[in-house]
Amino acid sequence: MRARVDGRDVEIPAGATLLDAARRAGSEVPTLCWDERLRPYGSCRTCMVSTDRAHGPVAACTTRCEDGVEIRTDDDHARETARAALELLVSTLPPRALELPRERSELVRACEHLGVDPGRFAGVRRERPVDDSHPYLKFDPELCIACARCVRICDEVQGTFALAMVGRGFETVAAPGTGGAWAESDCVACGACADSCPTGAIGEAGILDPAPIERVTETTCGYCGVGCSLDVHTRDDRVAFVKPTLDGPVNRGHACVKGRFAHGFVRSPDRLARPLVRSGGELVEASWDEALGHIGAELGRIRDEHGPDSVAAISSARGTNEENYLMQKLMRVAVGTNNVDNCARICHAPSAAGLAASYGLAGGTNPFEDFDRAGVFLLAGSNPTEAHPVVGARIKQRVISGARLVVVDPRRTELARYADVHLRPRPGTNVAVFNGLAAVLIDEGLVDEAFVAERTEGFEALRELAADYDPERVEEISGVPAADLRLAARIYGETEGRALVWGLGITEHLHGTDGVRTLANLATLTGSVGTESGCGANPLRGQNNVQGASDMGAMPDILPGYQKIADDQVRARFERAWGAPLKPERGLRIPEMFDAAVAGDLRALVVFGEDIAQTDPDSGHVRAAIEACELVVSQEIFLSETARLADVVLPAASFLEKDGTFTNFDRRVQRVRPALEPPGEARPDFEIIAAVAGALGTDLGCPTPAAAFDEMASLTPTFAGISHDRLDREGTIAWPCRAPGEPGERRLYGERFATPSGRAQIAAIPYAPSGEEPDPDFPILLVTGRRLEHYNSGTMTRRTGNLELVPRELLELHPDDAAELGVGAGELVSVASRRGRIEATADVTDRVSPGQAFIGFHFPEALANLLTSQAVDEVTSCPEYKVTAVRIGSRG
Amino acid sequence: MPGRTVSELERRFGRPATEVLARLRARNAEGGAIEQDDVEHVAAEVGLPRSHVNGAASFYADLAPTPRGRRHVQICTGTACFAATGGAHLEAAADALDAPLGGVSGDGESSLQPVYCLGYCYAGPAALDGATPCAGPDLVAQLLGEAERDDPPIPFHADVAEPVVLAGLAGDGPPAWEVWAEVVAAGDRARVGREVAASGIRGRGGAGFPASVKWGSAAEAPSDGPRYLICNGDEGDPGSFVDRLLMESDPHRVLEGIALAAYAARATHGFVYVRSEYPRARDALRAAIDEARAAGHLGTDVHGTGFEFEIEVFEGAGSYVAGEETSLIHSMEGLRGEVASRPPFPTERGFLNRPTVVNNVETLCSVPWIVARGGASYSRLGSGDSRGTKVVCLNERFRNPGAYEVELGVSLQYIFDVLGGGIRDGTGLRALQIGGPLGGFVSADRLDTQLSFEALRDVGADLGHGSIVAVDESVGGAELLEHIWRFAATESCGTCAPCRIGTRRGLDAVRAFRGGDPRSLNRYAALLETMERGSLCAFGKTVPQAVRSVAEACDDLDVAELGRGER
Repeated sequence: MRARVDGRDVEIPAGATLLDAARRAGSEVPTLCWDERLRPYGSCRTCMVSTDRAHGPVAACTTRCEDGVEIRTDDDHARETARAALELLVSTLPPRALELPRERSELVRACEHLGVDPGRFAGVRRERPVDDSHPYLKFDPELCIACARCVRICDEVQGTFALAMVGRGFETVAAPGTGGAWAESDCVACGACADSCPTGAIGEAGILDPAPIERVTETTCGYCGVGCSLDVHTRDDRVAFVKPTLDGPVNRGHACVKGRFAHGFVRSPDRLARPLVRSGGELVEASWDEALGHIGAELGRIRDEHGPDSVAAISSARGTNEENYLMQKLMRVAVGTNNVDNCARICHAPSAAGLAASYGLAGGTNPFEDFDRAGVFLLAGSNPTEAHPVVGARIKQRVISGARLVVVDPRRTELARYADVHLRPRPGTNVAVFNGLAAVLIDEGLVDEAFVAERTEGFEALRELAADYDPERVEEISGVPAADLRLAARIYGETEGRALVWGLGITEHLHGTDGVRTLANLATLTGSVGTESGCGANPLRGQNNVQGASDMGAMPDILPGYQKIADDQVRARFERAWGAPLKPERGLRIPEMFDAAVAGDLRALVVFGEDIAQTDPDSGHVRAAIEACELVVSQEIFLSETARLADVVLPAASFLEKDGTFTNFDRRVQRVRPALEPPGEARPDFEIIAAVAGALGTDLGCPTPAAAFDEMASLTPTFAGISHDRLDREGTIAWPCRAPGEPGERRLYGERFATPSGRAQIAAIPYAPSGEEPDPDFPILLVTGRRLEHYNSGTMTRRTGNLELVPRELLELHPDDAAELGVGAGELVSVASRRGRIEATADVTDRVSPGQAFIGFHFPEALANLLTSQAVDEVTSCPEYKVTAVRIGSRG
Repeated sequence: MPGRTVSELERRFGRPATEVLARLRARNAEGGAIEQDDVEHVAAEVGLPRSHVNGAASFYADLAPTPRGRRHVQICTGTACFAATGGAHLEAAADALDAPLGGVSGDGESSLQPVYCLGYCYAGPAALDGATPCAGPDLVAQLLGEAERDDPPIPFHADVAEPVVLAGLAGDGPPAWEVWAEVVAAGDRARVGREVAASGIRGRGGAGFPASVKWGSAAEAPSDGPRYLICNGDEGDPGSFVDRLLMESDPHRVLEGIALAAYAARATHGFVYVRSEYPRARDALRAAIDEARAAGHLGTDVHGTGFEFEIEVFEGAGSYVAGEETSLIHSMEGLRGEVASRPPFPTERGFLNRPTVVNNVETLCSVPWIVARGGASYSRLGSGDSRGTKVVCLNERFRNPGAYEVELGVSLQYIFDVLGGGIRDGTGLRALQIGGPLGGFVSADRLDTQLSFEALRDVGADLGHGSIVAVDESVGGAELLEHIWRFAATESCGTCAPCRIGTRRGLDAVRAFRGGDPRSLNRYAALLETMERGSLCAFGKTVPQAVRSVAEACDDLDVAELGRGER
């Protein structure tokens, strides 16, 4: 279609509004109730324009273009109507409404554009008190112009429904919850309301401070694996505020309480600013030269006396790709060992292994955009509205607008309440449930026969195995009612656009890789991977760069791009490039490192950006391992539980102070740019790793992160087409990307699978019990996991306003169990496992099933991992965080 | 519209929140004011976000968070009752009950809620004392128990050769349900649409949109569930009481019209939206639905044809704007009665975002006759593009008040003199308000105007819902002007800026003007222009026409003054 705007012809798509046409033509039309993230509303009436199709002025935002329409944005009547409408609005506001800096107030800009006389319709105003009950959001209802953007964005983007318009006529105003204080509402502090508010009625301190912003840095969020783009606004080398990038490829202008608000930790007074070296039993401040000298001497000595394999490094899924590349290079080249692993080991290693075995590549199969067209989600072992909030919000919106939802989770998560069917298997019985779902798909003719015949292998074996997993048998094993299992399989099997989504509830088990493989079967059987209609198999990766850390080869058996170190040709290529010999044998995995340390075989451990003493299972064992080592180096931003036990602590930079790239859950490589300088003498880990190599007398090359990326790409076919330069130009590129001219494969396996045979591998794997079973002494099954407001060990989030939102660890306990134990809500209880005992505050709730309990792991005061076991996935050694038998009792 | 995602939730999870307003009302009746825990409770019961239930609770006049007395009196402040007393009955009732308007007496015994029209315009002033209506010049004495309660029936008369709307009440039209049984047995959906299209009938709710076109659109629009037909019995126009007459006295004909229209629109679920000010209409319809179901006219297998059709009654909660179709649908979804911009039209995305037809009571009541007698018979009545008959409602200032079915095209003079018998008590006519608050005032010298959509628009009025409220000379023009502004400010839904703020500024300006401050009218002309050009829906767009027509019709008002204010 065409439209003519102020005399200029523009081409517009069908369904475009007059506003779309005007923007396309470059004509400025002020708007206040419009937001590109929301459905048009048409309430403010400041976008009035005239057309040759209507008698009087019309609202540009809600009027659709007819072909050939002629639009005037400069028509006198229309402008006067818009101006007067805005003058009416302004007449209800206090003068401070117009005192915000123009770049931070759409209202101020609209008034300037239309030449508003603020006093023209002066009259009574509403007087309402400011609500500052929330740690981040301040609500000044006198500035509310009833545009309802806050309400609509909370409904239409976030899906929390915390706000509504209240009152009627002149009294209409936005209000949280049931009209009480903001902090008492259902608000999850995603901040979208403040982001959208055109007047500052809902704001945060940093935005409302009129001091000018010095710099805006676009970077990638360092919390969770979603990969949101953030615009970090800084002044005086401090973060003033963070806004999600409006055209962020993943988040599209949305964020969560962590990404948007939890940045205060970067300037926390207890940030590590100088190296610390243990001396006389105490950690004392030292210079970089002293610290590095100590490391060089000790690491060199241990390597030389006990062999390179007496040294190991735990790399960081929070670090950049470049840092991870450099860390594994440090170990392999400067030390000469394959003892390098990263914390993907303890979260998503089974996803990587399972996906690689089923389809060929160790990553999710489809882009996040495919969620927008998904007809059904099978969401298993994942609580994305807390752990991956932007993904969770997107799934919720899609479900509200009609997509079906099957949730597999022992816990009644928020999305479980939106599910068409919620399967609640006993922890540890996933494989039985997935085999049962496969059996129903097969039994009821819901298998895509043609796809299975042409593009897969192994179906017959599964068909035979499935005979043992009729829903009634699965009900016996898992407690999931047979009827629900059938219903779930039908919903998934019968709906087009199937998206499989999972999280750590699938992987962190004794049979985690089996869980991933049997889950992936469901996508394979229905032809949902490698097809146009399918929406794939998508693991929600835990930390910001857990995909990338593994991609970069920070693992004991692989080099960058999952190239096997056992492969002679691969090794030869890297040896040539790095100028050092490489060992073909795989090194130690993280849990093996601890065992080796306790056994005396491992003597030096470099820990980069991980708090293993808090986050790894069976903390008592981890502490024993740390104590057994002769040298433990911790690269940290705070004195974490691990750093306290280390021999040398090196002050590092946070993600807001780094240059590099992260790779998110859908394989998108995105730039990370420094918005701030690290405090004191703290340095980016990239520099620290290079300096440690230097202390060992090795030059790792790669003077900059960009150079490190280029070196990695030159050795890694699946990354060959990606570079910092290209990312700076194009924004985001997914791997595999084999040449600079290629766009990157957003959706995998359109032609063939990356397995040796080119076919997807269907797995026939029987159910086996988990590593830990309840007994009369430890009758309750404890599941651990993440909460919205905190992030893993909590070192970052506990140093922000998020602590005010959730100040302590809570143990979720079913009302029946609480009654039996005589435990009341809010009471401090003891939780004991076969390994340890902690205390936590009881949260009595039916989110958990009877006989089960749930706890986060964000607080050192309630160290959940003192309880968890050393049981690990048989394939990948991923720990069984999700099944621990415990005894709960009143304290004392 | 802010609640849009909530209505999607209702559809997605199959839990339409039609219970929200009723449950809130029940909490209100039990416990006085609606408080936060009432909202929490109802939200949990219906499974909707508590914020949005709070938003709805705060929107409707019936659910306001003001305390109620053990005795709750709704007193009519509609135009006819205003014309009857000049508003004096409001203050007198407040004195008598010792409760302020919109408040509760000191001892908590009585509360007094002003409402816009109880449909007793022919016998005002009126009140609903609990569920008991009372009306008459001695209203306050009735409330005090000093005079006998009077609940006068609605006088009606068909001034046409063969009554259509009043076929069941004043004529020998087809017995209710006869046509329905015939049509559904024959499976002849097309017949309904065809005859109604041929009749040329335009919606009687005020907008005048051809009814059969809506049915066709809804029938053709794709749907993931049932289509709905809603009978709009939210007769909000103060001055009009024909819908109350039909719903209370001929409910089966209303229901038959709903069934026929739904059949044509391929709707399988019907609602009658009855305003809360009409408790008797609500009860009559509920009883009639039970009877009709027992007789096989409704249910899962209508007359053995396998056709499934159910009707239920939905009760409003006090909002004029809720009579507008998008707003009406929102209130049925348990949301605020806010207007949404169209398109999409309800016939594509209405109740629960599914195709929905909203037709007025009087329109639907004409349908059985049109289908039985043929569209052509109907089309022979009327004038120009205004076909058929219309029931006009005359208020108690007339010598012969009541509901009159007339052929469109008759002159106002005829209605005024011959049917109404002129103004009673010998006082002179100040102006006639035609078509409700969004219609306009016509002065005595314009009575030669025809009663039709076109002719009335030409003189700045509107056929609206056919109310004709005579205001005599005992009421001053400025008083009348303030009355109109007060109505506008009270009932503005608050969605769009020009109406939300403009109605309040207009009311304040006229109040100040009456208080002797002529400067208050500075910007008055600009205000009207902005509302007219800038408002989102017909309410805000039409208020300026209504207030201008007051000034033009009332010779005691200095029109020049009102028009002169600086822009």
